[in-house]
Order: sequence, then C-alpha cells, then structure tokens
Amino acid sequence: MGLIDHRFEDNFITTNLDRVLASARATSLWPMGFGLACCAIEMIATSTSRYDIARFGAEVFRASPRQADLMIVAGTVTKKMAPVLRRLYDQMPEPKWVISMGSCSNAGGPFPTYSVLQGVDKIVPVDVYVSGCPPRPEALLYGLMRLQDKIKKESTVLRKERVIMAGQSEPVLVEDRG
Amino acid sequence: MDLLKGLWVTLKYTPEPAFTFQYPEERRPVAPRFRGVLRLQVEPETGAQTCIVCDQCAKVCPDELINLGGHREPGHKIKVLDYFDFNLSRCSFCGLCAEVCPTKPVKALIMSEDYELGTYSRNDQIMRVDEMYDGVPIEPYTR
Repeated sequence: MGLIDHRFEDNFITTNLDRVLASARATSLWPMGFGLACCAIEMIATSTSRYDIARFGAEVFRASPRQADLMIVAGTVTKKMAPVLRRLYDQMPEPKWVISMGSCSNAGGPFPTYSVLQGVDKIVPVDVYVSGCPPRPEALLYGLMRLQDKIKKESTVLRKERVIMAGQSEPVLVEDRG
Repeated sequence: MDLLKGLWVTLKYTPEPAFTFQYPEERRPVAPRFRGVLRLQVEPETGAQTCIVCDQCAKVCPDELINLGGHREPGHKIKVLDYFDFNLSRCSFCGLCAEVCPTKPVKALIMSEDYELGTYSRNDQIMRVDEMYDGVPIEPYTR
C-alpha cells in the first residue's frame, strides 16, 4: 500500500477506490484475541454459533499477530503483561485497529493498584472502548460495528486524508503531506 | 461403551439446526435481574425529577464513579439536580448504587436493560445528566 498511500487528488476513481478499500477492510477484520481474564470467555462466546461473529467477517481469530489486523484486548492488563501486549501490537501489520473490551482494559476497572495498567490506551492507541463487566457478546458485536463505521470513514488513496481524531466521531481533513 | 455413549450424545444434537441470534435486528431478551447501564428515572405521569440529591449512590460506589450535586429553590420541595456525572469507564455494574436509592414509588436510579456501550474515546464514557435520562423505564425486579 506504500505506493498509492496519500498520493492522489480527489477524483472519481480515487474516491471510489477508497470506498472499495475501506469496505473491504471493514468487512474482513481478522481479530487477534487477546484474552486476559473473564472478558475472554465472552469474546469466545461471541465467536460461537449462537452469536456468530462470522456474520461480520471477523471469525478468524488468529493466534499470531502477523496475520491479524484487529486486536481485541479483553481483560485486565497487568504491568507485567503490558510490554508483551505492546510488542504483539507492533508485530501486527498495518492497517491495524484495537478494541478495548471491558472495564479493566478501558480504565483499570476495580483495580486501582500498583500492578495493574490503568487503561490499555496508555500503551496502544485504542479505537473503540466497549464498556461492561464483562460486556455481553452483543455489546462486543456493537463495538465491532462501531469500529466498522470508523474504518469506512477513513481514506487510503487520497492525498488529503480524512482521519477520526481521538475523542471525535466525525472525520477531519488532514492537510497535504507533500 | 463410553465411546458409544459419547457418539449417541453427538448424534442426538446433529439433526438440530444451528441457532444464531441475528443481533442488530433481533435482541436477545435479558434476564430479569440483568444489570445494564445506569439510568435516572422521572415520574411517569408528570415527567418531574425523582432524584432527591441524597448522595447515597455516590457514597456507596466502591470505585467512586458518581458525582452529583443540586441546589435548593424556593418553589421546590426537593433539591434540584444540577449535575450527575457517571464515569462509566471503571464501572463493574455491581448495582449497589441502584440498590440504595431511597425514592418511592419510582426509583430515581435504576440499572436499565441497555448494554450497547461503545465509544471512540474515554471522555465519552463519562455520562452527563442529560444522557442519564435517555432510555425507557423498565419494570423493577421483585423477589
């Protein structure tokens, strides 16, 4: 993707190509299940036939970060686990997204202690925070749909990139990268 | 013999079709004691405020996630609620806050049936007073 990233002006071909790429990325997310605590059980339940995350094209839970483009951090991230999590995130190929699932990975949950990381966004950029303790499988699917909405708003080929900044829901235009 | 028993169990389930909740279209009904996101309720007929700003929910919360305040007004019998900040990010949905809420007959603070919670930032997870009123009032569970 390095050849065509942000090199072209807005025109009929590039805008449509962008839409195709965004839709392809959004509908075939390959998650890396990062199950660390009880939230992992709900994450596994989401992939069973009862809830069937395959309907969203995200059923292939990869054990290896090299084959994944979405990391679902499910559970309490301790400070001992944090460097491992960051390393696995760095090993994932671009483009990559992160869903933080549950109160523990959102903000540390009921553990404001020295050994627990107070929010996984301290070490990796998080796209969607799913609240719950643990969230129901439906809530994770809802979070996945929110992420798909976000991916569909991003642009790849256009010179002027539209990105969604942290804390915003609408994309803004990033000026020319030269 | 054990093998045959195991195979028989597998065989019994085989003719049943696979069953999936088509989630965005249909919602699985929640359990009667399900604890979803916190909601403030109003009087059903008049739409008046039920919260009496007694601060009990804020005191009982184990993670100190609720901040609320109000002021007295001459015409009103109860305090007027000014702000109700609920920090969702750490909440473990234990329901203690809804349990201690003393207002009758309508409980001001309930655990609703809503669980669709996904935000793009941590700031959005702090719910303000106007967001707390959204959602439908639900039947409270009675033992």
